[in-house]
Amino acid sequence: MPAVTAVTVSDDPQVYEDAHVHSVYDEIAPHFSSTRYKPWPIIAQFLSSLPTGWVGLDSGTGNGKYLPLPQGRPGSVWTIGLDRSRNLLEVAQNVGDIRREVVWGNVVDRPWRAGAFDYTISIATIHHLSTPERRRIAVQRLIESISSSHGRALIYVWAIEQDELSKRSIPTDTKPDEIQAKGQDVFVPWVLSSQTAGKANAKAQDTGDTAEQPKVFNRYYHMFARGELRQLVEEAALELGLEVGSPVDKQHQDSAIFVQGLEVIQDGWERSNCYVELRRWNASSKA
Amino acid sequence: MVRLITHNLLACHAKGCTSNNFPLQFKDVQVELREAEFNPDFLRGFIPRLEWGALVDAARQLGDTSLPPEPPEMMDDEFLQKLHHVLLEVHIEEGVMICPNCNHAYPISNGIPNMLLAEHEIG
Repeated sequence: MPAVTAVTVSDDPQVYEDAHVHSVYDEIAPHFSSTRYKPWPIIAQFLSSLPTGWVGLDSGTGNGKYLPLPQGRPGSVWTIGLDRSRNLLEVAQNVGDIRREVVWGNVVDRPWRAGAFDYTISIATIHHLSTPERRRIAVQRLIESISSSHGRALIYVWAIEQDELSKRSIPTDTKPDEIQAKGQDVFVPWVLSSQTAGKANAKAQDTGDTAEQPKVFNRYYHMFARGELRQLVEEAALELGLEVGSPVDKQHQDSAIFVQGLEVIQDGWERSNCYVELRRWNASSKA
Repeated sequence: MVRLITHNLLACHAKGCTSNNFPLQFKDVQVELREAEFNPDFLRGFIPRLEWGALVDAARQLGDTSLPPEPPEMMDDEFLQKLHHVLLEVHIEEGVMICPNCNHAYPISNGIPNMLLAEHEIG
């Protein structure tokens, strides 16, 4: 298996992402999708905890594997999938053999009414954005998409710390302390042999690729350092003018002030990924 | 798919378009009806999240006038069935959604709305 390699982002970030993320996923969509079917436990748990009647956004839905959840109460909430790859959306549109709601869009945009959603998830998506600023904007779009009074969000990205089961090893040509602070930009190869392409074709659509030589597609990732995701979320919230912390800690003496805030409910590391769960709150306390 | 549940959430996000940018107006649409599983508990929970007027207008544009101008106080099964049909069984497969403010057109193809903007259109 080809190795993960360190890269330096050059070019306009949007052009760079078009070349090293969007067009790659469009090429590998059926094969990629055939390998992505197991929901991760913390995400399944999050979706199971939502009240009936809530509507949510899966920002970077990929093949839509989270759209049918929660498993125990299908149809109790409604998740709408957004992705930049049109070919992945074609898969997501029919996941579980039921028609799903999917939207072709970019996670750095906001094609929604502000606060229209009760919850949002962003799983393995923000690490494909190629500058710190764009990653922060993507987090702000998630925060803006959910209700200011009760909106909840769960974000997953790839971590530098990989578990033992992971097939990947991390290139070490950057100074370790620098990686630990800022994360690491890498290319992660996806190998599409005619055989795997054929297997995927049996299940999904034609990839249009019948070459005999295996084709290697390099996807751009920013691998997150420990603590980097939480910091990104908090910076994004502060820049939007939100208080960061729990509403109890932030009780204001001045009851006339209307305060909006964001609380990190949990953050951690699971199977080579960093995650943060958060919720929004507002308070115009009548002391 | 664009069903009206999704249409009720979408807004124009073109550069400088920040007011009167919702709801998007349908044009040249092809509609398909598909049965969906009826879930009254979901609907009851979901109603407060809807922009009701926008939903009623959008349904009218598609020729469905079954919804009252205000959500009724009594959420009986007959009403919920109508709402279920309008929200979840009417699929806009082809067509365009136009911003009432800036006239930006968002095409719908094969049931998937294209909400991407060109770089110079992003606000």
